[in-house]
Amino acid sequence: METYDVVVLGAGPAGLAAGLEAAKRGGKTLIIERESRPGGILKQCIHDGFGLIEFKEKLSGPEYAERYIRMVRDKNIPIMTSTFATKVLKDKDKFIITLVNSNKGVFEIESKTMILANGCRERTSKQIFIHGSRPSGVYTAGTAQYFINILGYLPCKKCVILGSGDIGLIMARRLTLEGAKVIGVYEAKTTPSGLTRNIVQCLYDYDIPLYLSRTITRIIGDDRVEGVIINEVDENMKPIKGTEKLVECDGVILSVGLIPENEIAESLGIEIDKFTKGPCVDHNFMTLEDGVFSCGNALHVNDLVDYVTESGRYAGERAVVYAKNNIEKNLVKVNMSVNDFLYVVPQYIDITSNNKKVVLYFRSREIRKNVVVQIKYDNKIVFTRKYRVLRPPEMQRIELDLTELKMSKDKDFCIVMKEGQY
Amino acid sequence: MKKIQKNIRQKINKEITCYEWHSSIVLEGIVDSWDDVVKAGKLAANKGYKGVVNKIEVKNLSIPDIKKPLLKDNYLHGKKVDVLIIGGGIIGCAIARELSKWDISILIIEKEEDLAMHTSSRNDGMIHPGILPKPGTKKAIFNVRGNKLYSKVTKELDVPFRRIGSLMLFEGNYMKLLLPYIKLRAKQNRVEGIQYLSADAIRKRVPAITKDISGGIFVPTTGILSPYKMTIAYGENAVLNGAEISFNTIALSMKKEHESIKAVQTNRGTIYPNLVINAAGVYSDKIAEMAGDQFFTIHPRKGQTIILDKKKGKLIDIVIAKSSLRKSTRSNTKGGGIVKTIDGNILVGPDAYEQPYREDYTTTRENIENIMKKHFPLIPQLSPKDVINYFAGIRAATYEEDFIVEKSEYVENLIHAAGIQSPGLASAPAIAEEIEKITINVLNDIQEVKPKENWNPIRKGIPQLNKMNKYERDRLIKERPDYGIIICRCEEISKGEIIDSIKSPIPAKSIDAIKRRVRPGMGRCQGGFCLPLVSKIIEEETELDMLSITKKGNKSQILSKETKEPDFDNEGGEASGDI
Repeated sequence: METYDVVVLGAGPAGLAAGLEAAKRGGKTLIIERESRPGGILKQCIHDGFGLIEFKEKLSGPEYAERYIRMVRDKNIPIMTSTFATKVLKDKDKFIITLVNSNKGVFEIESKTMILANGCRERTSKQIFIHGSRPSGVYTAGTAQYFINILGYLPCKKCVILGSGDIGLIMARRLTLEGAKVIGVYEAKTTPSGLTRNIVQCLYDYDIPLYLSRTITRIIGDDRVEGVIINEVDENMKPIKGTEKLVECDGVILSVGLIPENEIAESLGIEIDKFTKGPCVDHNFMTLEDGVFSCGNALHVNDLVDYVTESGRYAGERAVVYAKNNIEKNLVKVNMSVNDFLYVVPQYIDITSNNKKVVLYFRSREIRKNVVVQIKYDNKIVFTRKYRVLRPPEMQRIELDLTELKMSKDKDFCIVMKEGQY
Repeated sequence: MKKIQKNIRQKINKEITCYEWHSSIVLEGIVDSWDDVVKAGKLAANKGYKGVVNKIEVKNLSIPDIKKPLLKDNYLHGKKVDVLIIGGGIIGCAIARELSKWDISILIIEKEEDLAMHTSSRNDGMIHPGILPKPGTKKAIFNVRGNKLYSKVTKELDVPFRRIGSLMLFEGNYMKLLLPYIKLRAKQNRVEGIQYLSADAIRKRVPAITKDISGGIFVPTTGILSPYKMTIAYGENAVLNGAEISFNTIALSMKKEHESIKAVQTNRGTIYPNLVINAAGVYSDKIAEMAGDQFFTIHPRKGQTIILDKKKGKLIDIVIAKSSLRKSTRSNTKGGGIVKTIDGNILVGPDAYEQPYREDYTTTRENIENIMKKHFPLIPQLSPKDVINYFAGIRAATYEEDFIVEKSEYVENLIHAAGIQSPGLASAPAIAEEIEKITINVLNDIQEVKPKENWNPIRKGIPQLNKMNKYERDRLIKERPDYGIIICRCEEISKGEIIDSIKSPIPAKSIDAIKRRVRPGMGRCQGGFCLPLVSKIIEEETELDMLSITKKGNKSQILSKETKEPDFDNEGGEASGDI
């Protein structure tokens, strides 16, 4: 049985960065990808705007992916494509991963560590309780994107988009450019879910209306979608009776949220954060199961690919450190208030780690103006940053150096948000 | 007759008239609501007449006509068959399979593009033990016999089946009073092995169950299977033994001579059968009417069911229902429950309510919320977040609330397998055997009937990878590398399985037809990742191109057009007409 220091599951931006970094640091590394080509979801993201932080350039998704694929190939790091992990078992200090592909059939490999970089999936119409019939013509934004950008087919001619998440917005533009009519983007929240730049560049520039506090409550049509019923919703996003409006269309594109794919993590009994829906990790991106790391959108849904790459890189680096010297852990919880934050990642700090650099990602629960975010340790402020505005769609990143902090298990580590002068 | 009419007039309105036709009672008139129609039918049912023909209409209510296939051709024109079966659900297919033992020609016509598109795929797959039906009814007899037969037939047809048993839960201690009654009922219906379990014993068996139960009855013979896989397996075995199936084919009218059906007109030409079997589900009364033998009426009883993520499937391995015995003995309202499916999901529901539409499978927020409210507390770890989909089904109920499994009294060559509502799936093998007997008897008067010498009861299903051990799987991939390519990541379905479903004895040509056979798209992402990949495989393996691939036949195309086509009609894309 082949044995590795690091096995990365997923060859999207997180997995490629993780594998690259692990190999650079001297770990014997293998990347496993279930699709036939590496690149993950970037393959179908032909719009630009990728890589501003990472490469200081605006790239398309495939271009961004290509750069990493080339770096991985240059380092001769093996990527096993069209290969599916069916089972992972922990056996003392290593993992036995059962894989299946058409060349080798069913086979097993061993690894000291595992990096979960499986990305995320989209929520579907039934998961948000849209009722009515079940005709063809209802797609998640990612499926529609695959049909258009990879296969070259338009899924509809006249559609509504539900949800103002980034892929929904990008698909509104894409469908328009390909000749479909986008009647409007409907959003149940009172504020858009996507990045401001996408609202402007994908909707306003193409005169596509955005309707807030509205949702689809019913789909109509036997064979193919014939229309939808739109309702206004109250502040709890519950449909208001009597506000039903029929909109005729032949397609419904859903952009109603992403959920990290954590089936393997769950099969190992790894604790999942109910806010991120990904595993809980410490600041080394290690989950609560020793030797299992998580990064990218499998950890929490990022807004920029650059952050996905960054988390992959950290996970790759720390996985090698772990594989080479089995380390003792001592975790301190990162406390936060759910009234202020949607989530904070990592959820723990490992105070015995020799890695003293902490990168925290967070999202505010609501739009907040003129706030101060502070990190406190033992009631002392160790970090402060002012924000003119915080929006839930825009993820924030904080870098922190723990070197000077003498941390111990019984003292409180927390992140707080409060009103403050900007 | 007068008494019934008086009773109905008193309780509903004075305009309703009743008269006798053959040995049935016919109701006519106009009422204000559908509830009144159903009420009138129930008032007239089981009052000494063979059946209720309810022709009462509702003011201002238009009920859509049967959904017809778009296809029109002469494919079947002039075709002569010994037996014509109308309806490709579990009943029609099971009958075809049993009849295929005989050296006769058999044709099933089905108006949809695949088998099991209606009630047969829209239920929870439970093989009821047969305690609930009233002793002596056809329901009771066929249910108990059908349940037993499933052990053999699922083995022969290679359909996964498990007797996981069911628990009828008691909420309060007073319900223990029901115990002797249930035991008697089980004895009368010949259901074996039932036993009372205390609350502790139940919790030992199903640790995830709520604390708010006082005990319950365990019925070991309750089974589960995939109702559509079962239907397809029956259909395939029939086809392998020489039966034919014509899809997108609807019976439009019949020509009779001397109380015998001579011809059946369809959208694909006229068929000349020696004998016709009515297995048309929710439309079985319409087929009877077409043959001039309508002595019953179907009142469609709808139910909605929730599907939960497999992740929560671990919580139970049994069928659970709150005791609904009293209710179901009184009439027909099903309580529903929680069912662990053969594929590992949990189904919750269904509910049951009367409504006039026979093919309306829309779901509604109120119903789904009520089902969650009613059943989720039984397993406290269930939550709305586990819901991955839901669906509706329609039960083909008659006012007599019993199955009709018999030769027509007045049409010489017509046999009814009608009014097959719950527990129709559980009863199907027994109903099919009974219809086989009747059919052969009737046919014997018309023609010579001999058993088929080389009848093969065995049908092999498509290998299911995620149920194989690694050696079996490895060997299969070495033989067929397509079995090593995973297309549906949630359900772990390989390209090989999908190709096999396309090339199977009854080829799957649509996304849903493939789904019914091998499950891609049934997982938590609901096809978000695999829909384009499955479409592409259909394109590669059939004569269809991407634009003509449908979700479920007719006009349910997946895609509209190719990108980057010159498009001179850009005013919203309506004028070009076709989808």
